[in-house]
Amino acid sequence: MSKMKKVLALLLIVVLTVSLGACKSSKKEEPKADVTTEDGEPAGEEVSESDGEYEFTEPVTIKFANYAVLEAGYDKFWEDVKKGFEEKYPNIKIEYMTAEYGQMLTQVVTWAGGGEIVDLVLGEIPWIPTLADAGLAVPVTDAFSEDYLSQIYPSMLEATNVDGVPYGIPMYASPFVMFYNKDLFEQAGLDPNAPPTTVAEMMEVAPKLAALKTADGNPVYPFGMTTGSVSVSGSCLTSLIYGFGGSVLDADGNLDVDNDGFKQTFEFIKELDDKGYNPQVSKLKDLRNLFALGQLGMYYDTSWGFNGVNSINSTAKEFIASAAPLSGGAGKGESLIQAHTFMMANNGEAQVEATKLLIKYILTEKVLAPYLQNVAPGYPSMSALSEIPAITESPVLSGALSSLNTAKGIANIPAINDFNIELTSLAQAVTVDNKDIDTAINDFKTSAGSILGN
Amino acid sequence: MQIKSGSLDSRKTKGGPLIKKTTKDKLFALALLTPSIIVTVMFILVPVFDSVIKSFQNYKIKNIIAKIPGEWNNFDNYVKLFSNNKLLPSIQLTLIFVGGVVLSQFILGMAMALVLNSNLKGARFIRSVMMAPWIVPTIISGLIWMWIYQPQYGLLKYVVNIFSFGNVSDFAMLNNPATALLGIAIAALWKQIPLTALLLVSGLANVPEETMEAATVDGANAVDRFFHITIPYMKSVIKVTASMAIIENFKQFPLIWTMTGGGPNNSTSTLAILSYREAFVSNNLGSGAAVTTVWMLLMIVVVVLFNFVFKDTNVD
Amino acid sequence: MKKKQIIFGTIRYLVVALILLFLLFPLYWVLITSFKENMEAYKFPPTFFPQLPTAKAYIKLFTEDQNFFRYYINNFIVSGACAILTTFMAIISGYALSRFHFKWNKWVVAAFTSAQMFPIVSRMISLYGLMGKMNLINTQQGLVLALTAAMIPFSTMLMASFFDSIPEVLEEAAFIDGAGRFKILFSVIMPLVKPGIVAVGIYSLLMTWDDYLHASTLIQTDSLRTLSVGVSVRYLGELSYDWSLVNTISVIGVIPMLLLFFFFQKHLVKGLVQGAVKG
Repeated sequence: MSKMKKVLALLLIVVLTVSLGACKSSKKEEPKADVTTEDGEPAGEEVSESDGEYEFTEPVTIKFANYAVLEAGYDKFWEDVKKGFEEKYPNIKIEYMTAEYGQMLTQVVTWAGGGEIVDLVLGEIPWIPTLADAGLAVPVTDAFSEDYLSQIYPSMLEATNVDGVPYGIPMYASPFVMFYNKDLFEQAGLDPNAPPTTVAEMMEVAPKLAALKTADGNPVYPFGMTTGSVSVSGSCLTSLIYGFGGSVLDADGNLDVDNDGFKQTFEFIKELDDKGYNPQVSKLKDLRNLFALGQLGMYYDTSWGFNGVNSINSTAKEFIASAAPLSGGAGKGESLIQAHTFMMANNGEAQVEATKLLIKYILTEKVLAPYLQNVAPGYPSMSALSEIPAITESPVLSGALSSLNTAKGIANIPAINDFNIELTSLAQAVTVDNKDIDTAINDFKTSAGSILGN
Repeated sequence: MQIKSGSLDSRKTKGGPLIKKTTKDKLFALALLTPSIIVTVMFILVPVFDSVIKSFQNYKIKNIIAKIPGEWNNFDNYVKLFSNNKLLPSIQLTLIFVGGVVLSQFILGMAMALVLNSNLKGARFIRSVMMAPWIVPTIISGLIWMWIYQPQYGLLKYVVNIFSFGNVSDFAMLNNPATALLGIAIAALWKQIPLTALLLVSGLANVPEETMEAATVDGANAVDRFFHITIPYMKSVIKVTASMAIIENFKQFPLIWTMTGGGPNNSTSTLAILSYREAFVSNNLGSGAAVTTVWMLLMIVVVVLFNFVFKDTNVD
Repeated sequence: MKKKQIIFGTIRYLVVALILLFLLFPLYWVLITSFKENMEAYKFPPTFFPQLPTAKAYIKLFTEDQNFFRYYINNFIVSGACAILTTFMAIISGYALSRFHFKWNKWVVAAFTSAQMFPIVSRMISLYGLMGKMNLINTQQGLVLALTAAMIPFSTMLMASFFDSIPEVLEEAAFIDGAGRFKILFSVIMPLVKPGIVAVGIYSLLMTWDDYLHASTLIQTDSLRTLSVGVSVRYLGELSYDWSLVNTISVIGVIPMLLLFFFFQKHLVKGLVQGAVKG
């Protein structure tokens, strides 16, 4: 008993000292973060920027909300960006503000609620309306010269429009495209260089793929379409709807689903499910996992999904190939464009100028090309970079290059994330919940309508 | 401050008049309680109150950032929730989840407790190892069960395949709207049964052995003894255990959010999930607050009802 | 009669065995998966013992993943500080609640009881604004304070039930001997409720160790994160898919609390039971 007492006392003391120590040290650090450069950088004081325009009289810290810093495979690139940029501009520091991918937008908003407005957010296009609506993103036309913006692919820049004004600088983009496994195609007796281009063709080859087994005896799913309860799955479904020539929202952000393409898409999803071709209620990462392990013949993803595939199975580049998304019904195989995009807030001139420098620094061939080649394949937003070998020679990118021209955006409305989740609910209703399609679509209209009415 | 120091000084005169002592007691008690009261009011009650107010307002992110107070919107948030068929299914799901988990937790916990209390060999050892799941952080327990339920390689799929003699070869607990909530409930039970069993075992120790023996001599069988002696003696333990379980499961959020996010097809969208989606995914804080207000009211009603029922039977 | 006893005995063992299987098998499953290679983990039908046991995931975690241990240490700091602060406040407030019976006591109890019930989601926004005004966002002190606030109601009431079991005669005697009120509390009464103090301390340590929502909202800098949030941020992201690492993390994340629990379980169990039965 007395021994226990001693141990307990000791434990309490240790915890107390450790926590006090921690409190002290974190207190000490705080003011430092604002003033930044102090120790060991003698020349840091008065470096004028070579880019001219703006002179930083005081050290600046860019608060950069970036989920990718935490993701395996991406972390090193972002650490290198920080290092390289801070070396080039000793007066500017980058502070990464991090959160899980799925929580990032919520966090940026909550932080702002507490008075902390981040200077820069790296995120998806569907985040833009929320940020713009809340005043956490400003039109990029306010900050960048027309000359600079004209170097960006117009379709990519337009995808960030809210009420006709662009609110984001895309870093790189990709429509949802179809990846397929060349090895499985060969095993099934199909031509690995002639992937299906229409839904009908796909359904023809699917039984051959479904008959295959992996070396471990696991089943092979012919076709993967994400329907998990996350926003990005809704975007992917939208892409499929476009491929059927359907629509989801009109240009003003009103519900626009009374069209054949929309209904045909969900009939197709139901058919896939009835035949057991599609892994049920999967998120994109589940599909990437199955694909990497050779258990999935084809699936829809953005080009950077390859990173997920590669991190599970590094030999995936041997068998992965990309193709244009399928066309179904009266559609022409159009797709939805996705982009990893920079969105910036206005926290005063110095912050804005520093943030601009950072964006410009990242969007150069020197920084971006290795990223697109080794980390996350994607189509660069700067038209000047479209011909670099990283793009034209990539097995992941080259096959679907043409789909970039037919890809469209979607009306940017603040409730888009919740709306997207509602789309996945519709897909789940007709598959795992076995609801009748017309009933399910009617239910969807009620719930989606109330979301859009917000 | 002055009154306080005055009371401290006067304390030295031992055994002062009785009235003075109670005044001093009051001040002393107040001083001791103040920090806890301040912290509780400031960090819990005020924010809750604030959220109830927001539920009657048109309150969005813009309002927080620009520090604009919300505008009274004539019960719009509530009207919308009732009209779009989301609130009632959520209430139903929440009640099913809470009722189901609390009830099965009680039955399994009681079974375990009865056995552990019956001179079982190694009961002490079992009692300590069985606590392990209780220590596992909720997020990790969610991960553990997601891995077991995994639709392609999961253990459960394999087990179901074997026990159904190959008839059900693609069992995916969390992908099926009919079983997803059950899947989460199992994970919740896994973490909660140990504490329930533990508290009930200790409650059983309070049942006097003589009464039991006397009843046995009188010819009461085990079932009679359980319902007429054991249960009444354990009433207070059962009450505390059950109300703890009710509150905990009513509030359950991280487990559901990590395991299904409310899907598939809203089959696990409890009030916790709905409020989070309204507030933070739809970014409509006012209507999110309306859900939490309904949620809190419902919880209060259930807890009060529970206490009322228990008090009533106690008198009998 | 004997036959009946045998049947009864068998049922007893069967019940225990089944419930224990349910409670412990998932832990075994996690443990063995952590020793499998990813490719083996993705095998179906699954293997019940690793065919090629490997400590790769552990080595990877210990050598490459500095962040994980950062989260780990942070969680200890935050939970430890919370436990100490909560215990101290529960002692003084619980004492006041138990000893001095005034009209407004029942209001305090009502406030504490209801405070336990309110869902965290409902107060996150307001809490965030409040902490922002106090400059406590993104600091461990702020997180400690918020978590302590969440723990105080239950802890105070638990502690009060311990004080209830100490006869008041003791204090009256000490008072007549001329001891001050603080002295009575800290040197006469406190030693008598030691099991309660340990119970409250360990309980709040365990509960704050489990926190997710507070930490995920109030902390933004990766180096200040705690375990639950760190794990979900870094290992459950949209891009990571490494089940043997996730299982390894689960194992490592559970072990210290498990040890702590087994070490203190006698006190904790006694304390919780006493508190629950009385309260």
